[in-house]
Amino acid sequence: MPLLYPLLLSAALFGIGLYGVLARRNAVLVLVGIELMLNAVNLQLVAYDAWFAETLHTGQVLTLFVIALAAAEIGLGLAIVLAMFRATGTIDVDTVEREVEA
Amino acid sequence: MRRWPYVVVTALVSAAVAVWAIPHLGDDPSTSVTYRGNDVGPALPRLSLDTVVDPMAAQVMLLAAGVALLVQVYSTAYMGDDKRYRSYAWLIVLFEIAMVAVVATDNLFVLLIGWEIMGVCSYLLIGHAWELPQARAGAAKAFLVTRIADIGLLVAIIVLGQTYGTYRISHLIDAAGQEEPRNATAIGLLLVLAVVGKSAQVPLHTWLPDAMPGPTPITALIHAATMVAAGVYLLARLLPVFETSQVAMTTLAVVAAVTMLLAALFAVAQTDLKRALAWSTVSQLALMFAALSTGNAAAGINHLVSHGAFKALLFLGCGVAMVAVGSSALSAMGGLRKSLPVTFWTMTIGFAALAGVVPTVGFFSKDGVLDALHVATDGEATLGGATAWVVLVVAVLTSGVTAVYATRLWTSTFLGAPAPAHGERRAMVGPLLLLAVACLALSVGQELHVGIGALSTLVAAVGIVAALWLRDRGWRVRFGRPLADELGLDAVFVRAAPAVTLGAARMVDAIDADGIDVYPRGGAWFAQRASWVIGAVQSARVQVYATIVAGGALLIVIGSVAAGVGS
Repeated sequence: MPLLYPLLLSAALFGIGLYGVLARRNAVLVLVGIELMLNAVNLQLVAYDAWFAETLHTGQVLTLFVIALAAAEIGLGLAIVLAMFRATGTIDVDTVEREVEA
Repeated sequence: MRRWPYVVVTALVSAAVAVWAIPHLGDDPSTSVTYRGNDVGPALPRLSLDTVVDPMAAQVMLLAAGVALLVQVYSTAYMGDDKRYRSYAWLIVLFEIAMVAVVATDNLFVLLIGWEIMGVCSYLLIGHAWELPQARAGAAKAFLVTRIADIGLLVAIIVLGQTYGTYRISHLIDAAGQEEPRNATAIGLLLVLAVVGKSAQVPLHTWLPDAMPGPTPITALIHAATMVAAGVYLLARLLPVFETSQVAMTTLAVVAAVTMLLAALFAVAQTDLKRALAWSTVSQLALMFAALSTGNAAAGINHLVSHGAFKALLFLGCGVAMVAVGSSALSAMGGLRKSLPVTFWTMTIGFAALAGVVPTVGFFSKDGVLDALHVATDGEATLGGATAWVVLVVAVLTSGVTAVYATRLWTSTFLGAPAPAHGERRAMVGPLLLLAVACLALSVGQELHVGIGALSTLVAAVGIVAALWLRDRGWRVRFGRPLADELGLDAVFVRAAPAVTLGAARMVDAIDADGIDVYPRGGAWFAQRASWVIGAVQSARVQVYATIVAGGALLIVIGSVAAGVGS
């Protein structure tokens, strides 16, 4: 399989994730965007790993690290969103910002 | 409020001054070194509290002490239930001390300090009834006009110090006697400016009559013993320095000649007793300056002391009449002879002294001035003989006009149809009696100039007769209006001073707005625009920041790819 296909898929995933982070107002969907971006990176790591065919498979190992990191991040992120919802009654990031400013 | 403590304080001060001054009345000058400041090099003046009391100083000190004490006694009755009596009484004491400091000191800067304290005291006392707008205006005017003159004194002191290398008056006088005169004209003219303002001579004469809203005892104090007398005394003290310049002497003589006649004519036309007396002071001060301009300090100081006695008497008497009829307008007075007998007799002596009638002290001291002028006509003094002749003629003429207005004021106050009046109070007539006695007693031992005396008596008699004749005709004279308006000389100040001040203020304001404010305003404008630009970026929204970061990263990628393609 040529390297180009996974890279294009990865770029598409990253773009969608970036759009979600930048444009979404819902905090959970922002986190989903971040998750997408992380997985786009994972995809690239795996693709390059296969492409270089390295004996130590550093790309795959790094992917495992990133998955662990992503799990921790989403746990922490959702906890923050939950705390935010309890404190302000909303998970809309703009509304929360305004209320914090006020 | 009890008032005798203030009298006691003033009496103590006056007694101290008297004890100090009396031994020196006939003596050689005594110097007492009380304090010397550190020598701080030639650039800065050395302050010292040295004093020199010569007979001349002793006379003026006694005058100031005596009049201040009498004024304080008089004020206890005159001021009624004034609510600011405490400050009033203390200011009188301060006034007296400042005058004594000016008279006795040997240091020009101490003299300047005393001189300025008197300016402040007169400002505060003229404005004592500051609820009245004319009192406020008169006080401000007195202060501002004398301040202008004080600048002359300050510069004169600096020039004197730089020229002779000393600020001690006795050293200056020695130096002026020995060395070639240097900067004499500049020093002389600056001193003339200083005394013209302080002693209310033309053209800075208008503050003195406008100071009349002040309490009458204060007017007596200012006109007789302090403030205006300081100008005369200063010139008399510095005469050896001053008379090295013929220009300055001639200027002084001309100023004196113009002032004495003009002020006497103004006094004739006044409808207000107090204001007429104020003009009379201006005229009499000019007479003293005329004596000084001939180089005869003794004659000038002699007239200063004699004038101090009779003018204090006249003003205090005027105060009694004002309390009695409730106004200082001549029209409100008349026939006060019966209701105010003591005031009548004492003021008669005062007016006689003003007119120069034998045997009052005014006769002798004025003849001393006329004689000094007559001596100067031989042209051996610094003053030119011709100038001396002119001033002498004007002075004689002034004596005649003085007799006219003295008689006019006397008759319109005390003769004629009686005006309703309250009686006299003991604390007020006591000082009057003492001053009347002084007006006669000071004549003892005065020099008699027979020829001049005869002439001035004749002129005074003509003046008195003319005044009585004019009175019978009801004072219907054509010269009245312009003279009563004082020839509009004051309008120059009243219009020009604010116009100049406002013009200068507008100019400075324009410079400030267009030349200086531009920079801070421009800076503020620039900072505001800059903050808008930066503020638009700093929206405090994380997503906007993230967009910028992502956009930046994209740019870098595109840029590096483009560069990679290009290479």
